[in-house]
Amino acid sequence: MMQVLILFIQILVLFAIVMLHVAYATYFERKIIGHMQVRMGPMRVGYHGLLQPIADGIKSFFKEDIIPEQADKAAFRAAPIICLVAMMTSLAVLPFAKGWVLADINIGLLFIFAMSSLASYGVILAGWASNSKFTFLGGMRSMAQVISYEIAMGLSLVGVMMLSGTLNLTEIVEAQGTSFTGMYIFPQILAFFVFCIAMLAETNRVPFDLPEAETELVSGYCTEYSGMRYAIFFMAEYIGMMVMAAIGTICFLGGWNGPFVIPFFPPFWLILKIYVFMFFFIWIRATLPRYRYDQLMELGWKLLIPLALANIVLTGIIKAFTS
Amino acid sequence: MQIQYKPTRTLLQTILHVEILQGMALTLKRLFSKPITRQYPQEKPDVRLGFRGQHALVRDQASGGSKCVACMRCATVCPSRCIRIRYHEDEESGARVVDSYDIEALRCVYCGFCEEVCPVNALVMTEVFEYGAYDRQSIFFDQQRLLENWDRFTELKGGGMDNYVNPFWRPRGADEKTLTAAKRVKVPDDWTLEGQVVGKKFKTERSV
Repeated sequence: MMQVLILFIQILVLFAIVMLHVAYATYFERKIIGHMQVRMGPMRVGYHGLLQPIADGIKSFFKEDIIPEQADKAAFRAAPIICLVAMMTSLAVLPFAKGWVLADINIGLLFIFAMSSLASYGVILAGWASNSKFTFLGGMRSMAQVISYEIAMGLSLVGVMMLSGTLNLTEIVEAQGTSFTGMYIFPQILAFFVFCIAMLAETNRVPFDLPEAETELVSGYCTEYSGMRYAIFFMAEYIGMMVMAAIGTICFLGGWNGPFVIPFFPPFWLILKIYVFMFFFIWIRATLPRYRYDQLMELGWKLLIPLALANIVLTGIIKAFTS
Repeated sequence: MQIQYKPTRTLLQTILHVEILQGMALTLKRLFSKPITRQYPQEKPDVRLGFRGQHALVRDQASGGSKCVACMRCATVCPSRCIRIRYHEDEESGARVVDSYDIEALRCVYCGFCEEVCPVNALVMTEVFEYGAYDRQSIFFDQQRLLENWDRFTELKGGGMDNYVNPFWRPRGADEKTLTAAKRVKVPDDWTLEGQVVGKKFKTERSV
């Protein structure tokens, strides 16, 4: 009983912290993109717009919630929740530091893959349930994109699994050791490259934001959503970014290990690396234009998947000869 | 001339995504440059000489009213016909006396012809640009309002406007002889027909 209560409190704390991070990730993004475009970003709410995320949250919470007449009501309501729940569930297996993990399961990496695929169901359902051309196209694109890039992403992490010999995220970090050269980014540079691109596609970020594609599809799968439901999609997207950044950090950049140990707050290095990843996401968004749909498919199937496969073979050969 | 749409890349450049890296370097550089945003209500733009803002009738220090002589030039030249003047001739002297002077500023296109054509510098366009309102009546200026606009403008400039003359009230490039006395004000060199820097001249002078 006591254990359940403690776990429950831990979940609440993690939820609160992640939500706060999501809120300020939007601020971070708007500020950085603004400055990259020689603007200032939000400036009015609070000092340098620091209260902007809170104002946005309040606004979307009290906005009218519109459900189109022709929409499939049940699926329409369920879609954003599926998105958010799937994304938040994968937070449970992320190790923030040694022992700082809600569920230290042995199939951690696989679990995260499963959950991020499940989140795309939310997107597809949203597209279908809204009963509109734009959302439907957005949903279809999302489906095709996720199917293509899930493979590349999974294959790119196979190399990491082979080197560490486990799917448990804590053990993957420990297998990399505490030294700088132990990080898997060096032996798995090809996999890291594939992972970075697939990560952008998985989270529907620019330059692979075809499911949203404001210029063509209004707002893609969330065109018909408003108020809080729209905000939930947004949260799911940002949590997805964070989860992907955490996976990248854990699998390639040595997780919570850093040049020296920070007392009392062991997740410091992990969080710092996640921020660096988030900055990378935003930096890419400020720089690159959107891919065309066929270019996206070509990149995924003709380049990333063969590269990831080659990386597996290479890793296998090297591992067989060295051990 | 042959236009090369696709720049040639070596294999190494293709593999390393040199073009994407160049773009990312540019955005990163811009991240640390100073934003060009002007935080408007706090930071006002500096109004240049010759700015055509809110209309005003210059208050004559001698009479306390306007300098207008009801010559009707402004009403005639106005392309959007937003100026309406009524006058009568004085029985004794035969001078025109303005009965009403209205400007419907919502129809105005801010071309500035009226202030150029005015022989006595009575009608001017001030540097005031913040006079938005929620109803049409407040942007319809009668004589009283136009004089008040001038008072507000002098207050904004900090007084000392009794002999205020803006060289940009003078029609551009017009011959000195054709102008009335009030219009013969000194203009900056680049405001004259010969001195103005536009077109080809602008390009060459910029490049030097």
